Amino acid sequence: MIHGVIMHMVCPFLGTMGYAVLFNVPKRFYLSCGFTGMAGWLVYHVIVTQTLSAAFASFLGTMAVVFLSRVLSVEKKCPITVFLVAGILPLVPGAGIYYTVYYLVTNQLAEASRRGMESVKVAFAIVLGIVFVLAVPGELFQRMAGWRRKVRKG
Amino acid sequence: MKIQQIRRDKDEYMDMLLMADPEREMIESYLDQSEMFALIHGGDVCAVCVVELLKNRKCELKSIVTRMEDRGKGYAKYMIRHICEHYGNQCDTMYAGTGNRKKTLEFLGKCGFVNSHIVANYYLEHYREPVYEGDVRLTDKIYLKKQLDSEINVKKVVDLALEAGRILLKNGAEIFRVDETMTRICKRFHVEYVDTFILSHAIFISAENGMEEAYTKVKQVPLSSSNLGIVAEVNELSREIAEGLVSIEEAMTRLRRIEKMPEKRGYFQVLSAGVGSGCFGYLLGASALESLVAFWIGCLLYIWVLAAKKLRMSKMIVNIVGGVMITALAILAYHLPLPGDVELGGMIIGSIMPLVPGLAFVNAIRDIADSDFLSGTVRMIDALLVFVYIAVGVGVTLSAYNNLGGGLML
Repeated sequence: MIHGVIMHMVCPFLGTMGYAVLFNVPKRFYLSCGFTGMAGWLVYHVIVTQTLSAAFASFLGTMAVVFLSRVLSVEKKCPITVFLVAGILPLVPGAGIYYTVYYLVTNQLAEASRRGMESVKVAFAIVLGIVFVLAVPGELFQRMAGWRRKVRKG
Repeated sequence: MKIQQIRRDKDEYMDMLLMADPEREMIESYLDQSEMFALIHGGDVCAVCVVELLKNRKCELKSIVTRMEDRGKGYAKYMIRHICEHYGNQCDTMYAGTGNRKKTLEFLGKCGFVNSHIVANYYLEHYREPVYEGDVRLTDKIYLKKQLDSEINVKKVVDLALEAGRILLKNGAEIFRVDETMTRICKRFHVEYVDTFILSHAIFISAENGMEEAYTKVKQVPLSSSNLGIVAEVNELSREIAEGLVSIEEAMTRLRRIEKMPEKRGYFQVLSAGVGSGCFGYLLGASALESLVAFWIGCLLYIWVLAAKKLRMSKMIVNIVGGVMITALAILAYHLPLPGDVELGGMIIGSIMPLVPGLAFVNAIRDIADSDFLSGTVRMIDALLVFVYIAVGVGVTLSAYNNLGGGLML
């Protein structure tokens, strides 16, 4: 159990950092990227095991990633994309593509369409998650950063 | 830190002005017909300067003073640059008169002033009390001048904005960021009327500065590989430009340097792709052994991706061949005598991840969310096609393998 929890924290952390490298993210942001990816995955994983709905879990996981990315982008004064792209990758339905193709090739069309539709649903959930959190006015995040600075100083 | 023009109650700053010029009547003689600027930082007025407009597109810097406690912080230099830009539209030359004091002359020299003329015995004739700067009694007034026409030039500004926009767009920034950065740069250098129209692969910009002709430029920016490091750097540069810390020439050289910023080393990228593949494979349900295989496949795959990038192959080829490669390698590993059982699925899922077009996907969504539908659609199609290419590569290989075994292999 503990082993599983640790793996589910270490793997998304390392994996997301790996992608941050591929996107040429500056070195100083690696840890933040890893942390964002880990948070998104943990939210996704907990919810997907509780509710068994990949789309809903992706939605909430994405929201966590976008929220964290926005906080970090204000804090570190850099484009939100830097954190967002790497952090969201664990949630992108890469496995869905594989299984859809696999069932297509092995002529299990019903299963293939089920998997394909699920991937599309997950993709839409991610879209909604991103759009929802991006719609929150930026001033809120600016103000939050202000509070945190005050707390740190005081 | 910002600079404001003071239009009323200029006398309030008399104490500061007296630090530079000891005679109150002298200051009052020019204060009313001059324009006054104050540099405000953190709510306090840190520096003030006074400029008088003369005839024939000339002006004179009458006085510039920094508060005692704020000296040596570069405020005066910043201020001079600001007023040079401010007067660049209406004047050709700016004069500055000062006593014969080495430090002041050196400072003005650093700001780009050169010798103009000397008014002999100025301080003896115009001041009632002898004037001292340090221990030296001042006698002559030395005038320096600076050519202003080079400060502001719509073409230069637009070229800078366009270059920044091009680099951002090419390296995978969102449309609104490109737009914002370009407008910010133009506004900062006092080009007030700017119109930009940005697509996912082209920039149109048109600018006007009141007196000059409108200037329009179009730039094509082909879709290419992205580099978020460059986006972050340009973003930081644009922040500094907006704060007024960087001049046009400086910004241009820095942009050139940023664009040449090298990517991460090849082996480091290959290794990262491997780590990404292995970790995500494990998360998506692969066993530890399968993840290990995925790590190796991810590394090999990325060697291909990097090689293809160097040879400028099309995205289609890169991804289809990538898909084929992943599947073929996984099938190979399936037949190798590995310690323990491996499933094709586990190995393939993980190693697909480096090909997944995360950035294009996220950018497409963000553009559409910002109502940049045209660019958003183009980027979304770009992302979807990559998904399709990967699926084709994997599918073709799987089906070939399956058929070779008479439909019994999968």
